[in-house]
Amino acid sequence: MKTTVAMCTRVEGHGDIKIFFQKNEISNINFEIEAVRGFENILLNNKLIDIPHIVSRICGLCYASQTIASCKAIENIFEIEPSNQSIQLRRLLMIGELINSHSLHFFFQAFPDLFVLLKEYKQPLSLEELIRYDPQMTGFMFELIKTGKELVNIFGGRYTHPITPIVGGMANAPSKKSIGVARKYLQKVIENTKWIIEKYQEFIANTTPPDEFNLENQIFLGIQNKGLYNNYSGMLRLKQNGEILADFSFNEYNHYIDRDRNLPGIYAHLNGEQRLLVGPLARYNVIDDYDISDLDPYLEIIDKPWQKNLLISNYLRLLEILLVSYEGLKILENSKLTNPIEIQPQTTLKNPEGIGVVEAPRGTLIHHYQANNKLVLEQVKLLVATEINIPTINDLLTKQGQKYYQETQDLDSVKRQAQMIIRTFDPCISCATH
Amino acid sequence: MKPKFLIASLTSCSGCIGTIFALDILFDFLERIDLTYFPFLKDQTEVQDNDVALVEGCVSEESQIEILKEIRKHSKKVIALGTCAIFGGILSLSTEKQAYPISSYIEIDGFIPGCPPPSKLLGVSLIRLLENKDIELKNTNLCLNCPLRGEAEINFINPINNLMPEKTTTEEERTQCFLKNSILCLGPITREGCENKCIESGMPCEGCMGPISPNADFTSNIINFLSLIKLSKDLRKYDGIFFRFSRPKIKFKQVKA
Repeated sequence: MKTTVAMCTRVEGHGDIKIFFQKNEISNINFEIEAVRGFENILLNNKLIDIPHIVSRICGLCYASQTIASCKAIENIFEIEPSNQSIQLRRLLMIGELINSHSLHFFFQAFPDLFVLLKEYKQPLSLEELIRYDPQMTGFMFELIKTGKELVNIFGGRYTHPITPIVGGMANAPSKKSIGVARKYLQKVIENTKWIIEKYQEFIANTTPPDEFNLENQIFLGIQNKGLYNNYSGMLRLKQNGEILADFSFNEYNHYIDRDRNLPGIYAHLNGEQRLLVGPLARYNVIDDYDISDLDPYLEIIDKPWQKNLLISNYLRLLEILLVSYEGLKILENSKLTNPIEIQPQTTLKNPEGIGVVEAPRGTLIHHYQANNKLVLEQVKLLVATEINIPTINDLLTKQGQKYYQETQDLDSVKRQAQMIIRTFDPCISCATH
Repeated sequence: MKPKFLIASLTSCSGCIGTIFALDILFDFLERIDLTYFPFLKDQTEVQDNDVALVEGCVSEESQIEILKEIRKHSKKVIALGTCAIFGGILSLSTEKQAYPISSYIEIDGFIPGCPPPSKLLGVSLIRLLENKDIELKNTNLCLNCPLRGEAEINFINPINNLMPEKTTTEEERTQCFLKNSILCLGPITREGCENKCIESGMPCEGCMGPISPNADFTSNIINFLSLIKLSKDLRKYDGIFFRFSRPKIKFKQVKA
């Protein structure tokens, strides 16, 4: 079988677009990832208390989510629950991570493509053109990216691979002064993001959502807490065409979704459609409400033609930045954040198995561990957002690529279109190659 | 003429690159260089001639050796960015894969250590590279300016039986050296320059900056140190300490020149 390969650019990590031909027709287009590191193997035989800081190294963008999912899985094994203070501090750390990750993706990776997809440019903006396009926007975006990192530094102890999340809680409480700094940062994020959202609304006004990004009968997966947006606690939900297919606790995840041994990616255990989508668009769909009234004026634009369109994910990323910033400000009102932290003692193994789930910036992240009496890890399973999205990515790539190739016979354009589709999913290849 | 820069990733988590986005100087840095290759932000996939190449990640796949040689051929200076590129990094804990430092295959002109590289060191180093200067690293250990350093003490009488504190402490409570409190801290054998981030967050040093001498072997350095302290039986058998960021490298194949 003839194949052709193109390297993915403007994504995190190293991935390829592989196009398979049968006779003169495209039979499949796959998003392929190389250099799997084998973190399941890396983690084996390590001490439970040591695991969260090792798993952080799975990803230099989703470090906080990885570390915290890991802490939660181990806390499940010990049957301990961190104090409310620790949970709030973890959420603040995840808020910093989300602001950094979403703004980085939006500006450098997604925005340049929108000129091709919505404005009939021949090429995406180059890095140089992007920086000069709207100096105020560039300034604000650089500030957002940097501020996300500053929040990670305050609550995680450094800019990447946070030190503070440990099994049972957090290793360090922030000072009163840094709480004040964090508040100022979040206020600035809100101000800047509102400006960017308004600019973006102008940008997409009078444009038509491109057909090739439409998702039909898509099944969405994400955490919701009593129907509301929540990245830390609640239940998982599967939803399709506005109907809830299942609500289930984190510990029951493998009754509903799991890795397929023979195929790349993760699938739902459902009759019929089994491909899933996680991430901002899935979160928007699984919840009933974002639960922050300040967001209401920005929701109208997500009208019918955009609702099924994957491209709206870019807008939702901006909305999520705004949302978590409001959430963060609310958490910062808690005067107990700076108190000495109570850590739950990790004494004996209560369950051999533990499951930890969070919503990482790119979607649902599941850590499933099994430990022995020596408190050492014996079995590991990690289900990460990008892996969950891969079957949906490949399906969309193939459908659109086939159609486009039939119409144009232009392979370079097929490749370029595939690049833009992949970027809209915001894949995290480091996570996927754990 | 702006200096030409390349930024490439091998087997990595992208965390070193991610830390670039925490720098105050990022915008100025991008304005002052000609970035010829950086797939994270740019569409170019061809390696062109460069003044400086920054490479993060270790070599774990055969195919990466060619890329690395291509980068070397086209670059006046190659800088190993972060602990994976310099020592092999976290993949060294694997029993299935070998994680090689990039210097196993090509000559390097400098390195910026850390997992991730500390932001101040990274920022200062990027500016120095931009001005065609070499990177400056501290040649002292973490203890020298450790906020928990009391009076110098070389005999650690207490047995070391913990990897981290059993309960968290406030900044005021934190006055005593971890090693004196029976908690393993690799500060004595680790290069200074990380702004004591772990110590200030109430956690001991895990050694990510690597040994002080550029020629020291990471793992033997740790083993030497551990042989001097009273490590509990349980920890003496724990690979997680020895191979956290490096593993003694055994070359199976000799490539003929």
